[in-house]
Amino acid sequence: MSHVVAAKGPRKVRADRSDYLLRGSSYLTVTAFAAFCALPFILIVSASFSSESAIMREGFGLLPKDFTFAAYEYIFRAPRQIIGSYVVTVVMTVAGTSLGLFIIAMTGYALQRKDFPFRNQISFFIYFTTLFSAGLAPTYIWISRYLGLRGNYLAVFLPLLMTPWLIILMKNFMRTVPYEIVESGKVDGAGDFRIFFRLVLPMMKPALATIGLFLALGYWNEWYLSSLYLGSTVEFKPLQYHLYNIINTANALRNSVAGSNVSITELPSNTLKMASAVVATGPIVLLYPFVQKYFVSGITVGAVKG
Amino acid sequence: MMRNALARIGAATLALAMTTTALAACSPSEGSESGDPTTITMLVLGDKPTNGRLEAMLDKLNERLEAEANADLELFYVEWADWQTQYNTQLLSGDDSIDLITTATDWLFAWENAEKGAFLPLSEEMLQENAPRTWEQVNADGHWDLTKLDDGQIYFIPEDNYTQYTNHGFFYRGDWAAEAGIPDGTITKFEQFTTYFEWVKEHQKDAYPWDIAGANDAALTGYLQGHTDGQTIQQISAGNYFPFQTTEADPYTVTSWYMEGDELLQAAELAKKWNDIGVWREDALNYDGDTREEFYAGLSGADQHHTQTFVTQIVDNMTKKQPGSDPKFFYWGQENGNVFKDILTHGAMAVNATSKHPEKALEVYDIVRNDEEAYKLLNFGIEGTDYVVTDDGELAYPDGYDSSTDALGSNFWAGRMDDFELDKVTDAPNKGEIYADLDAVAKEYPYSTLIVNKDMIDPTLAAMGGVLSEYLPQLQYGKFDDPAAAIEEMRQKLRDAGYEDARESIQSDMDAWASERGLK
Amino acid sequence: MVMQASVATPPRVGQHEIVRTRRRKTLLGRIVQHRVLLLMCLPAIAFFVVFSYAPMPGAWIAFTNFNYRDGIFGSPFVGLRNFEFLIKSGQLWLLTKNTILYNVAFIVLGNILQIALAIMLNEIRSKYFKKISQAVMFLPYFISVVLIGVIAFNLLNYDTGALNALIEQTGGDPIKIYSIAGAWPIIIVLFQLWQSTGYGSIVYFAAIMGIDNSLFEAAAIDGASAWQRIRYIILPSLKPTFIILLLFALGGIMQGNFGLFWNLVGNNAALFQTTDIIETSVYRMIISQNNFTSSTAVGLYQSLFGFAAVMLCNWIVRRINEDYALF
Repeated sequence: MSHVVAAKGPRKVRADRSDYLLRGSSYLTVTAFAAFCALPFILIVSASFSSESAIMREGFGLLPKDFTFAAYEYIFRAPRQIIGSYVVTVVMTVAGTSLGLFIIAMTGYALQRKDFPFRNQISFFIYFTTLFSAGLAPTYIWISRYLGLRGNYLAVFLPLLMTPWLIILMKNFMRTVPYEIVESGKVDGAGDFRIFFRLVLPMMKPALATIGLFLALGYWNEWYLSSLYLGSTVEFKPLQYHLYNIINTANALRNSVAGSNVSITELPSNTLKMASAVVATGPIVLLYPFVQKYFVSGITVGAVKG
Repeated sequence: MMRNALARIGAATLALAMTTTALAACSPSEGSESGDPTTITMLVLGDKPTNGRLEAMLDKLNERLEAEANADLELFYVEWADWQTQYNTQLLSGDDSIDLITTATDWLFAWENAEKGAFLPLSEEMLQENAPRTWEQVNADGHWDLTKLDDGQIYFIPEDNYTQYTNHGFFYRGDWAAEAGIPDGTITKFEQFTTYFEWVKEHQKDAYPWDIAGANDAALTGYLQGHTDGQTIQQISAGNYFPFQTTEADPYTVTSWYMEGDELLQAAELAKKWNDIGVWREDALNYDGDTREEFYAGLSGADQHHTQTFVTQIVDNMTKKQPGSDPKFFYWGQENGNVFKDILTHGAMAVNATSKHPEKALEVYDIVRNDEEAYKLLNFGIEGTDYVVTDDGELAYPDGYDSSTDALGSNFWAGRMDDFELDKVTDAPNKGEIYADLDAVAKEYPYSTLIVNKDMIDPTLAAMGGVLSEYLPQLQYGKFDDPAAAIEEMRQKLRDAGYEDARESIQSDMDAWASERGLK
Repeated sequence: MVMQASVATPPRVGQHEIVRTRRRKTLLGRIVQHRVLLLMCLPAIAFFVVFSYAPMPGAWIAFTNFNYRDGIFGSPFVGLRNFEFLIKSGQLWLLTKNTILYNVAFIVLGNILQIALAIMLNEIRSKYFKKISQAVMFLPYFISVVLIGVIAFNLLNYDTGALNALIEQTGGDPIKIYSIAGAWPIIIVLFQLWQSTGYGSIVYFAAIMGIDNSLFEAAAIDGASAWQRIRYIILPSLKPTFIILLLFALGGIMQGNFGLFWNLVGNNAALFQTTDIIETSVYRMIISQNNFTSSTAVGLYQSLFGFAAVMLCNWIVRRINEDYALF
C-alpha cells in the first residue's frame, strides 16, 4: 500500500485542472458510448413501428417507415398469453431474486470470515462447478427423470437462484466489512447469524443492489431452461421464451423438412421480431433507476466505519 | 484433508438432496381403474393452439372415443422453436405420460430413435388385437416391412395411405417466363433458368431473379438430380447434407455425387454464372428475410420448395396477390425423370417405450385413423365452425374464418388417409394433373427397408458434415473464384475425414440387404 | 494505514490465535463450534450438490453408445469414439485457436473498457445524466442475439446495408463485408463489447462505490490529482474484483458465445477461417445427428482445457498474493 503514501505527496498545483479534464472527458466518452449502445436500439424501435414491406424494400432506418402498429397488434392479439407470461416472469424474478440474494449474501458472508475454518474448501467446492459441468444431456436426464421437474416452473426457478460467480463476488464485496464489526457484535453477545443479519447486511446495500440486479436480469432474460424443461407443457411461458418462440418459429420452419407439412405464410417476420424485443425490454429498463439509487446514494462501507 | 471435509459435507447434504428427490419422484400416478376412461397422450409437432378450437374439437372427439374405447385423447406439442432439440430431449426425458409419438424416417429420426430404444416394439398379435383395421390395411399393402429394424420387429406404423409429393423444385412465374422468350412460358430444363433469371434481372428492376435466404443446396441438388441418375440414400446424413448415392444404372453400389463425376463442377459453374448475373443477393447466405412473401409481393422471380407447397399455397396466394402471374413449378429431375415418390414413412406413429397403456394407445390410434367421423374431427375440426363442405364436396372455411388465428392446429401427420381427405377450395385447380404427371414418372424409393448401421461411422459422418458445410454453401452461391480447385480441395478433405471407410461400411450393409432380398 | 489496507485486503486481526486454537480441535469439534456459519452455507452447498454435482457422473455418457433402454451407465462403452469426429474433421487446431483468441480479446478489451467506464461514471456528478446513461448502456444486454444478427445484416450487407449506403453517398465503392474474413474478428469483438460492457461495468462501479470515502478525502486534502486518485486508490481496490473475474473467465476460455457467432456468421463459410469456434463447428457437424454423446464429449474437452488454465493461473496468483487466489 505504499502507493497510497506516494499519493499523499505535495502536488497540489495541477489537481483542479486534472479533475476538470477527467470529468470533461468522462462526460464525452460516456455520452459517446451510450449513443453507441442506443443506436441499434433506436433502429429496433423504429423498425418495430414500420411496415414489413417498407423494411423489405429499404432496410432499417432511424425513423419508422410507413408507421404502423401491426407488429404490436400481432403480439397482443392474444393478450391473455402475454399478460400471463408477464405475470409468470415478474413473480419468478421477484421471488427468485429475493431468495437467491439472501442465500448468496449468507454464504458470501460466511466464506469471507477468516475464522471460519472450512471457507477454502467450501469456496473450492462451489467454484469447481464452473470448471466442470456434466453437460446438457446428463443434466437434462437428472433434472427431468430423477428430480421429476419437467413441466414444472421449479426447473427454471431453482437453477437460477445462484451462480458460483455471484457467490464469490459477494464474498469479495463482504471482505470490505471490517472484522471489528464482527468482534464488536461478539462482544455484545450476538450470534453469527445475528451479526450477519443486523450488522453486516445493512452495510452491504451496494453489493446487494449489484448482485440483486444480476439475479433479476438472469430471471428476466431466461429462455433456455424454459425451452428445455417447460416447452409447451405450461399454459403461460416465461416472457422471453414466449417471445423467443415467436421470433424463431419462422426461421425454424423455413430451414426444415418439417415445412412439408405446415403453412408458413402467416408467420411473423422482421418487424415482429423487433416489436417483441421492445416488449421484452421495456419494463425492466424502467425498473433500473429504482435499483440504481442504491449504487449512487447507498451508504458506503467507509461511512459507517468512519 | 480437504477431500475428507468435502466427503463429510457431501454426505450431509446428499441426505437432504435425496429426500427432495424422493419426494419429487413420488408424484401421484394417475389411476386408471376400469370405468374411468384412460387418457392417451399423443405427441405432435407444432405450436400449441390457443384459440380454444382444439379443446372444443377434443371434447367432441373424446365423447366418441369414450364410447368406442373408453379412452380420451390429449395432444402434447413439441413446438417449432428448436424443434429438433425439443423432440430429442422429450424422448430423452423418458416421460411416461406420453403414449403415442409422431415420427418419420426422413425428418424425425425414426430409425435412430427405434435403435436407441425409445419406441416400443409392436408385435403382430398386439397390432391385430388393438389396431385391427390399421393392421389389415398396412398388411394388405405389404408395408410393415418398411418399419422393421434388423431384429425383425415392427417399431412404428406408416402413414402409407396418404398421397403427397414433397419433391423439391423451383416455383416461377409463367408470365415472366413467356416474356423472357421461353416457349409457352414453361421451363423444361434446369439451364433455362439462366435465360429466365437474366430476363428478370434486366426487366424487373424491383425484383431479385431468385431471392433466397440462408444455407441452401437446392441449385446444386437440382442440377445433380437432373443431370445424373443418382439416387440419394436418405438414411444417411452428414450434418445437414446427404452425401451418399447410388445410380439407377448400378443400384447396389454406393457412391457419392459430391465425390465422383464432373456434374458437381458443372453445377458449381452454373451457380457461379448465376452469382455473376446477380440472381440472388450478394449476401444471400446471411440474409434472413421471408423470401416466400417476397415472391408473393413480386419482389422475387422464383422461390424454392416442394410440390405440396405449390399446390396448397403458392398457386392460391399468387393468383390472389399477383393476378396473371401464372405460377409454375419445375421440379428436380423433371428433364430426365430422376424423381421419386415420397417414402411412406414421411409420417409414422410409434408407441412410447415407457407408455403405461400401449394397448389402449393403439386402440385410440386405430379409431382416429380409420373411423371417418373421428378422423374428420381430429383433422378438420367441427363441421360448421372449423370447416364447411361446399356443394362440390370441397373443403372450405366458414365466413369470417381467419386461418392465421382460427386454425385448428391438431397436426395429425402420422396416419392420414386418402379415403377421408377432401380437396380444399384453395388447392391448385390443376392439382389432379400435377399428381397424375408425377405418378406417371416418379420412381419408388428403392431403399426403404435398408438399415444402415451407423455406430462405427458416426464420427466420420460428423466430420464429413463439417467439411460439406464449409464448401457446399459457397459452391451453391458461386462464391469460389475457381470452383474446380475448390471441389478438388473439398474431395481431399472428405477423403481425409474418412469418406472411403464410411462408403465401404455402407456398401457392406447394402450388399447384405441386397443379397437377403435376392437382388444382387 | 490499516484502514486503507482494509479496502484491498482484509485485516488479519486475531487470525493467528484462531489458527492455533483450531489445530487442537477435532473435526467434529470444529463443526460444532462453527455450526452457525456452516448452516449459513448449507443452502448453497445443497444447491450445488443437487444441480451441479449430482449430474456429473452422467458425463460418462460421452464414452458410451447411448441408448434409452440401458441408460447412461448400462449403455455399451465405446472409449474415445465420440471424440473422434473432432480430430477427423481436421479442424480441431483451428477451432481451438479461434476460440481461445476470441476469448482473450473479450477478456482483455472487455475488462479495460468496463473499468474505464466505471471510473468515468464515478466522475460524473449529474445524477440524471448518470442514471440515464447507465440505463442506456444496459439496453444491449437485453437484445436477443437473434436480433443482433438481423441488425448486423441490416448495417453491413452489400445490397441494402446502411454502411454501404453511406459509403456510396460519399462517393466510395461499396464493400462486400460478408466476404472479407479479415474484417470479422473486429466486427464480432465490437458486437460483444457493445453487448456486455455496460452490464460488466456494474461490478466495477459497485466496487468503486464501496471504496472508503475517507481515502478520497485524505487524497483531496493531500492535493492528489485525478490521475493519482485513479492510479493509487481506485485501480488497486479493483484488483481483487479483476482477478476473480479473470479466473472465472479463464475457466470458460474454451467456451464460445454460440449465439453471437451463429447469428452473426451463420453458414457463411467464406468467413469460417477467422470466425469458426468450437460451438459453431460442432453444431454444424452434429445438428442432424441426434447426438447427445458427441456434444457431451466436446464439453469434456472444453472443461479440461479451462480447468488447466484456471489451475495454472490460480497457482500464479497465489504465488504473488495469496489473498487474491480463489482457493
